[in-house]
Amino acid sequence: MTQTSVPTMTAAARAVGLTKTYGKGATEVHALRGVDLEIRRGAFTAIMGPSGSGKSTLMHCLAGLDRPTSGEVAVAGQPLENLNDDQLTIFRRENVGFVFQAFNLLPMLTAGQNIQLPLELAGKRVTDETRARAQMIADTLGIGQRLGHKPSELSGGQQQRVAIARALVTQPAILFADEPTGNLDSETSAEVLDHLRRSVRELGQTVVMVTHEASAAAYADEVVTVKDGIIEGVTR
Amino acid sequence: MRTVLFASLRTYARRYAAAVVAVVAAVALIVVTNALTSATKSGLFAGIDAPFRNAAGAVDLPSDEVTEKYVDEGGWVLAMSMQPVRTDTTMLGQDIMVGAVATEKRWQWQDLEKGRFPTKAGESVVDANAAKTNEVAIGDTLKVGSGPSAIETTVVGLVDAPAMWSSPIYVTWPEMQGWKDQYVQAVMTAGTGDEADTWLDTDDYLTELQTQLNQEVNVVAYMVLIFAFIALFVSVLVITNTFSILFAQRMRDFALLRAMGATKRQVLRSVRREALALGLIASALGLVVGTLLGWGIVALVRQFAETAPLGEVALEWPWLVSAFVLGTLTTLVASWLPTRRLMRLSPLAALRPQEGFDVRGAGMLRLGLGMLGVLAGIAIIFVAVAWDDAQTGMLIVLAGCAATFLGVLFLGPALVPGLVRLAGAALAKVAGSPAKLAAANAGRNPKRTAATAASLLVGVTLTTGVLTGMNTIRAAMLDEMAEQHPIDIALQAESQPLADSVAGDAKAVPGVADAAAVPGALATVSSAETEGKPVPLPVVAPPAGDIALEDLSVKPGTMVISPVAASAFVEDSFEASGEKVELVVGDRTATVTLDVREIDGAPQISAETLRDLTDDPQTYAVWVRADAGADPEDVAGAVGVLAPDAELINGKGQRAWVELQLDVFTWAVIGLLAISVLIALAGIANTLGLSVLERGREHALLRALGLTKRQLRRTLAAEAVLLSAVAAVVGTALGVFFAWGGSEVLIGDMLPDARFDPPVLQLIGVVVIAGIAGLVSCVAPSKRATKVSPAEGLALD
Repeated sequence: MTQTSVPTMTAAARAVGLTKTYGKGATEVHALRGVDLEIRRGAFTAIMGPSGSGKSTLMHCLAGLDRPTSGEVAVAGQPLENLNDDQLTIFRRENVGFVFQAFNLLPMLTAGQNIQLPLELAGKRVTDETRARAQMIADTLGIGQRLGHKPSELSGGQQQRVAIARALVTQPAILFADEPTGNLDSETSAEVLDHLRRSVRELGQTVVMVTHEASAAAYADEVVTVKDGIIEGVTR
Repeated sequence: MRTVLFASLRTYARRYAAAVVAVVAAVALIVVTNALTSATKSGLFAGIDAPFRNAAGAVDLPSDEVTEKYVDEGGWVLAMSMQPVRTDTTMLGQDIMVGAVATEKRWQWQDLEKGRFPTKAGESVVDANAAKTNEVAIGDTLKVGSGPSAIETTVVGLVDAPAMWSSPIYVTWPEMQGWKDQYVQAVMTAGTGDEADTWLDTDDYLTELQTQLNQEVNVVAYMVLIFAFIALFVSVLVITNTFSILFAQRMRDFALLRAMGATKRQVLRSVRREALALGLIASALGLVVGTLLGWGIVALVRQFAETAPLGEVALEWPWLVSAFVLGTLTTLVASWLPTRRLMRLSPLAALRPQEGFDVRGAGMLRLGLGMLGVLAGIAIIFVAVAWDDAQTGMLIVLAGCAATFLGVLFLGPALVPGLVRLAGAALAKVAGSPAKLAAANAGRNPKRTAATAASLLVGVTLTTGVLTGMNTIRAAMLDEMAEQHPIDIALQAESQPLADSVAGDAKAVPGVADAAAVPGALATVSSAETEGKPVPLPVVAPPAGDIALEDLSVKPGTMVISPVAASAFVEDSFEASGEKVELVVGDRTATVTLDVREIDGAPQISAETLRDLTDDPQTYAVWVRADAGADPEDVAGAVGVLAPDAELINGKGQRAWVELQLDVFTWAVIGLLAISVLIALAGIANTLGLSVLERGREHALLRALGLTKRQLRRTLAAEAVLLSAVAAVVGTALGVFFAWGGSEVLIGDMLPDARFDPPVLQLIGVVVIAGIAGLVSCVAPSKRATKVSPAEGLALD
């Protein structure tokens, strides 16, 4: 439903002249000071930088979670500036997947319900096909047996894998991961990063990961380094 | 720690809104009660001594002999009687209070506004206000009373009188003595009286009278206080919940304080002082609001109802202090449990991520106690229903209701989320994922959900219980009234038959559906009680048909008679059913068996018996059936003028009056309970508002995943509606069940012919209103929730 709609585009997301300013006067903070960036389709991109560098703001703007002060963003060929809140929400629902550092899952829903949630929000009927797909993704991520459990009954690594499964179930044009390993030990981190890389290799999924750990960035095809609101460099 | 205390109060002031509203409402209710009772008392007591100014002393509620003795010695009476009053052309009222006025100057205690006081019998004075509304002027002639004892009197003056002793019209005492029923409140004496007659000097008498009135007003005040206590109980639930949620949210702050070296006692003392400060501020606010409301209500009533006996508001210190202390104590008690939980707090909690999520439901002990309470309560109610004596049975029912209700409150954490989930599943079929999310949210913190529902449950259970119980009692009482007063309006002749034209004229009166001439005769009866002397007794033979609410035809050989009429010739009129008496008309006789019960008008015999007594029956009564919607007073007034000498009986008016009393009572109770319901709704809004703050990150996550603003609002609305609807349904079920228990106890003993009859439409109304109110209560929280952008929300801690 997504990749086919923008066949001519090579970039999964593109930002031009992006700035973001918080506050006014003395308390003014420039989180982004003019960022141009292209996210390659079917690649694993890491956005790296120390805390306060503006990397999370960049991701929020790219994902349509926040509006830039100036500049343009297009995701899957769709410019985001002219969308109102509802259109933007529905665009996210259909084209963007998220994995956050923590509080990724709704505590009152089971793992399985959490995975199905984006489909439900879209008002789609849960068919055998989607159920089989969710099960397949869950099995691939090694959580197929844990779908009936509440998040509080899962380990941190398992919770992140449920979050990845949920992000993949809608086959989004682009998947954003914000410090997905921030709360995990090194062994579990490696597993989660490996799952993200496999979704790029095996499913052709576009993944953008925000991180401040060089070891995590090492899994990526492309590393964008952000410092003080501007892009310092891009390495492949 | 003082810095922490003040900073916390400043930061969290808005989150305490519902707690403050709850305390303010309960405290204000107490103050308003005091304002109204004090105004009532000062209104009643103003000028209470006026009639006694020239009295040496008085005897309260004297016997006829005592009254006569002191009046002969130059004393005077405070007397009143309820009589019909009419002018030549119009009926002013069937039950107008008539007072006594003296011809002797020293007992003329009324304030003369115009004209003069009476100098002889046949002259009267009229209250200036009553004269204005009834368009009566000096020089008019009024007819007071009915039948042979009626008097004609000329208005010679207009007066004003203190509320306590005021009546619309005053006639001379000798004229009043001719009436069957006058009531002498006191006889005032010119000189010293006998202790044996319970004579008191004026000062003692007035002190006694005031004490007695005080008690009567206080009884009403205490009944209103019951509702203040219900409001306080609901407040406890709302405040406990508010504190539980707030402290759960602030757990990390407290843990941080602990980590920085605050002792458990310091943390605990700090939050308890916070609760104390809240209680003090809210109670003070309650005093202010209550005082303003009290003054306002009294001023309004005095403005629009000039005759209402309301004086100045004089708030009493004991009431104000009690209200303030109760409000503060309520807050402290409500905060006790939530603050105790802080004692288990470890400094490490500051370092753990906060889940804002408590899957733990109620413990086994709590559920066990709850089950026990419900089962025992239901059993007790069934025991009570089988009880013979209604008074004891009622107490047992109350105990059963209390046990059941407490049981349900204990079971809440298991019961309420379960029911919400069930209702949510049904709602999800039409409302989609928002309803599903809402139902899941209700289950995430069972204790909080249950406590929120419980506060609404109290008000709904009481409201539906009162509505259902009153509906049953109301039906029974109206049935009884219809049985006692089956004739809408009747003109009853006493010694002279009515003119033949009366029935025809009555039919032409607007609002009259039908009128019938009732044949009868003037018979005589003699018995041992009358010492063989014949006493006159008008009798009538009711016609068959639908002129009355039921067919009143009498069986041949029977006479249906009221106890008052029967008392003229039998010793114990209430026990006289079955006795035989001989009726005499001219030279013909008929023996009838008495059937004594409360009926209006003359004794009723069968048409056959009347034929045995006379060949030439005459019209001794005219019975009128009024249109259903007609005003009974208007119709009766117009009908009464047709036969000024006949006794006018207004059965429809009496039925309407009882119905009005029942309605006023029911709605007054509902109105007072509404305060508790409003407090509970503020509690629901608050719980939801605090949950919104707590779930900021979750809502951001949902928004990121594609939940639109509208869907988020719907989720919160569904949560509020599900919660209030479940509370309303459970409350209604309990209320109806409790009312059933109460009704069954009364039925058979106090209300022989009653049937349990729940007012289905009103009950549905309660549930619908609760649902709508839930919807309203979520407006502010959901506005706040949707204001946060997803990116902001994700950054929330």
